Amino acid sequence: MRRHYPQHRVIRPMGHQGNHGRLAASALFLAGLGLLLFNLVASIPFGHAPLHVGRAILERASGETGADNIVTAILLGYRGLDTLGEVTILFTAAAAAGMVLASAGRGQAQGEDAGFIFRTAAWMLFPFLLVVGAYIIIHGHLTPGGGFQGGAILAAAFFTPLLASPASPFNHRVATLVEGFAGLAFIVIGLLGMLGGGQFLTQLFGKGAPGALFSAGSLPVLYLAIGLKVGSELAGLMASVFGGKEKA
Amino acid sequence: MMTGLILHASAIGLLLTGIYAIAARRHLMRNILGLAVLESGANLLLVAIGYRQGGHAPILVAGQTPGPMVDPIPQALVLTAIVIGFGVLALALALVVRVKENYGTLDNREVAERLRAESREARS
Amino acid sequence: MTPALPAIIYPVALPLMGAFLLPIAARSLPELAGALGRVVVLVSMAVSAMLASSVWSSGPAVSAMGGFAAPLGIVFYADRLAMLFVLALHAGVFLFWPRGRGENAGAFTLMLTLLGGGSGLALSGDLFNIFVFYEIAAVASYGLAASGGGRAGYAAAIRFLILGSLGSTLALVGIALVYGATGTLNLADLARLAPRMLNNPLGLSAFLLLLIGFGVKAELTPVNTWAPEVYGAAPARVAALLAGVVSKLAIVVILRFLVLAFPMPAARAALLVTGILGVIAGELAAWRAPNLNQAFSYSSIAQLGMVAMAFSISGPAGIAAGVALALHHAVVKPAFFMLADRWRAPLESLKGAAKDSPLAAGLFVLLSLSIIGIPPLPGFWAKFLFLKAAMASSWSLVWFAAAVMLAATVVEAAWLLRAISAFYASAPQSAPRPPRPGMEHLGPALALGALLLAAMIFTAPLGASINALADEAGGAQAIAARVLDKGE
Repeated sequence: MRRHYPQHRVIRPMGHQGNHGRLAASALFLAGLGLLLFNLVASIPFGHAPLHVGRAILERASGETGADNIVTAILLGYRGLDTLGEVTILFTAAAAAGMVLASAGRGQAQGEDAGFIFRTAAWMLFPFLLVVGAYIIIHGHLTPGGGFQGGAILAAAFFTPLLASPASPFNHRVATLVEGFAGLAFIVIGLLGMLGGGQFLTQLFGKGAPGALFSAGSLPVLYLAIGLKVGSELAGLMASVFGGKEKA
Repeated sequence: MMTGLILHASAIGLLLTGIYAIAARRHLMRNILGLAVLESGANLLLVAIGYRQGGHAPILVAGQTPGPMVDPIPQALVLTAIVIGFGVLALALALVVRVKENYGTLDNREVAERLRAESREARS
Repeated sequence: MTPALPAIIYPVALPLMGAFLLPIAARSLPELAGALGRVVVLVSMAVSAMLASSVWSSGPAVSAMGGFAAPLGIVFYADRLAMLFVLALHAGVFLFWPRGRGENAGAFTLMLTLLGGGSGLALSGDLFNIFVFYEIAAVASYGLAASGGGRAGYAAAIRFLILGSLGSTLALVGIALVYGATGTLNLADLARLAPRMLNNPLGLSAFLLLLIGFGVKAELTPVNTWAPEVYGAAPARVAALLAGVVSKLAIVVILRFLVLAFPMPAARAALLVTGILGVIAGELAAWRAPNLNQAFSYSSIAQLGMVAMAFSISGPAGIAAGVALALHHAVVKPAFFMLADRWRAPLESLKGAAKDSPLAAGLFVLLSLSIIGIPPLPGFWAKFLFLKAAMASSWSLVWFAAAVMLAATVVEAAWLLRAISAFYASAPQSAPRPPRPGMEHLGPALALGALLLAAMIFTAPLGASINALADEAGGAQAIAARVLDKGE
């Protein structure tokens, strides 16, 4: 049924096949496109583009959300729905990749164990990465950083040991649980905002003192949910790509 | 002025490199890397558009003299776009693994030809 | 003035909650995973129907996410057009829900995120937010294209993904240009600024970039090469859903851009030209296609080209015609894909299929007559609305488009009649019997056929409703006032 095709066919880059006419044509096309794009972009004055919504947000963000980091105020406040969508895309991609890689008939392509030194170092890094990740997540509304960056570090904490020794078990069940409930928490926080006559994602708690850890209403809570979700998703995604063993 | 020129030129250069790698190259891995390059071009352009003359990072720090800040919206958009790009890239790599396993090649054109031949075959 | 209706987030929030929880449920209750997903779709559909009835009776509703006033935050804007396609998407997802149980949990999850993303696409009133929801729907579709498990699915999906992501990134460049020129992303705000700030080469380029990006999903020429590959390789249910409903959502979004942010003749001309090219290329390719599945893939490209042609006519008449064409195609094409799933062999070996499966062949004839445009079937009225709008327009390119559509109808009729005459021909004694569509194919197809007949009976009220919808969706400044002047 399944035909056998020769494996490892070498693909030569285009230019080396003597196809110079084609190469010249694409160079000409790209040059034209570049010129066009450059003219377009040049019509937006650099450093002086219209600051319409941006100015309003710069003036009001601190008062309206209580966050010192205005980018965070936008990500979780003004454009919080974008962030929910972004987490959803990551979730969807992880689900799709998991589905694609999980289907039957896939050989176990596992890497080799990296040896004692790497294994030990990976586990020694583990607590530090956890602490740094957690710190970056919970300070996201005050300083650069936040749920995505911190989540990526959390994922690295779990994933570095797996890189060092691919045979070590990875608990997909826990990752699925954290991932699902963190995503649910984001939406539930949003829906709770609608209880008092507000809209989806309306702030829940007081804004607090500027610069304090417990400030900016529900933004830090949202970031915590994002951090956990991103962390579990990235770790799960990497584990399914690299074939980490399922731990029941 | 010079900064703007450099930023715009690099953004457009990245965009063109990405388009070339996707449209003119046949290797699926090159196509996917082209996507990544294209995306960084778009992101760089977005950040450059948000720059204000003499502005600093849009974070309020106690004791700082109030001055102009750069437009925070493009920065937030770029953060979102980077994560979106990452998700798409991960899915693309997963699919590439399966294509290589099943077809034994990553030549985009060859894969397309076999796909066409397979859809022509009667399936019942 | 316009009622704030926070509940319009539910068609997005409910499916996404379901999607997040489904993998957990599938681990502990694999037998029930599919049923649970269907329940989520039904609940969300019921809530959407309630919202739609409120929009129909008391006019469009607005919700500013997070309570941040309109141009600063993201706004959801629910009018009849948006609610109609939200409901259509729910119906499509329910009807074409993947088969199987826990082992298929990945596909169930993707269906739910597709539902949430698609609903957001129809409801959102913010340029970048629309991009985000479009990407959710796109990533879910890449995954669903590969969900059949066959190797063709993987190949079709990766090629779809590369083209789709190239398009979305170019759309992102377009969004960056719009933001650089105006400083806002809110479509209602853009409706006010566009005549002054986007009526220039920059605005036209931004529209073209958005057209490339969103045109991938809307199967616009030339970014539709994925369609025949994916529809040939993916499960028939996925092909039916993508061709039937998801592509319509993308083209409705393009209509919103055109009406609100790019009200200039050059942008309309660009959409019209891609539509004309799509109709010509699609029907000619369908005529030469090796089997029915491929023919329907190409004809879907042509049908979406017709919708694009209709949407490019300025004024409510064009919108009404486009919506009618889109709805008709959303009913007919999925049914065709279901019927043709077992009939993928070349036509010669399908001789005598009508004898073994008379119901399926009869339904095939009914659907063909409607898509060709034989009165009194709904397909006739949709094409009639388009011709009427084209004739009323003073734009000579639209008259050419109308002529192209008539010629395409002849080609379409020719290849459909070729298939029908094969079904009703007598088979040679020695030949093997052609396969019969099973109940899993016939069920959804019959439901859609019944819907088509119902639409034929209620043509008059349906037409009035579509006209009201088009009036509402075509008034850019009225939409801007509803979104921006709330409570002032």
